[in-house]
Amino acid sequence: MTDAGEAAENSPVTQTRTGPPSLGRAAMAGLRQPIVAILLLIALFTSVSGKPLDGFLMLAVATLLIFDAARSGRQAACGASAATASVAAPAGSRRNAPRRLLVKAAWFAAGVLYCVVVGSFRRYSWPATAAVVALGCLMIAIGWQGPLARRQPLNGEPLRRVWLWAAVLVSGGVLELTSLLQQPHLTTDSYAHPTISALTDPVLASSPGRSAILGGWLVTGWYLVSR
Amino acid sequence: MSSRDATIIGYLTVLAAGITLQAAAIRRPDRLPSLGRVLSQVMQSRTGRVGVVVAWAWVGLHFFAR
Repeated sequence: MTDAGEAAENSPVTQTRTGPPSLGRAAMAGLRQPIVAILLLIALFTSVSGKPLDGFLMLAVATLLIFDAARSGRQAACGASAATASVAAPAGSRRNAPRRLLVKAAWFAAGVLYCVVVGSFRRYSWPATAAVVALGCLMIAIGWQGPLARRQPLNGEPLRRVWLWAAVLVSGGVLELTSLLQQPHLTTDSYAHPTISALTDPVLASSPGRSAILGGWLVTGWYLVSR
Repeated sequence: MSSRDATIIGYLTVLAAGITLQAAAIRRPDRLPSLGRVLSQVMQSRTGRVGVVVAWAWVGLHFFAR
């Protein structure tokens, strides 16, 4: 899907006005995106709980998304969609199987090396911070470019039942937030009301534990950008 | 039961609900979407795609970064 195509989907402003919306209206359309609101909430709560770098990065990405939605919305309203529509060729369709296998093995080895090396760094140290921020930024850049695969959109009964997943995720988030707010201080863990972070501290205290958690994080990230 | 136990049981309940939902979705894909299909749906737009990847990046930052 192109930028303009996404904008038409993302921006209700473009559907109700004949001319291009003002920058303010287009930015408000971006601000109304649920994901942007979630990122802003994460930025707020992360910052007040003593992680200003996390909060800054979330805020930066949310702001970029708002500007991107605004820019795309204005382009779509100007009728740019037809001119820029294109269909990407499936990636790697001409590669042969042994080569693909070799590339996959190389990525796997690089991933294992990353987990072992970064897992050996102390938590919250600058080397660990740099390694995680670098990988996070790389994945966000890949995600920004576009989906690597086309999938069948949900419709009918499965689409109507998406709320079940939303309910599970919101329940987990509310539980975590409740525990966070019941701590003696936002930066001090509570034994009686542990957050998920507090519960995982014993695992993350050792190098193998950190490597294992990093491995899970890496696999999840790869799964996401390949959707 | 202590507050700590109740909190941990709460987390485990949410996790069990997610696993149950995923199992049901695999068994009856015509009635329930799996988490993967929901993520694909959300990630069809750039905002959704970047938002989900950023949420993933935040997890790494939260656990490892300063």
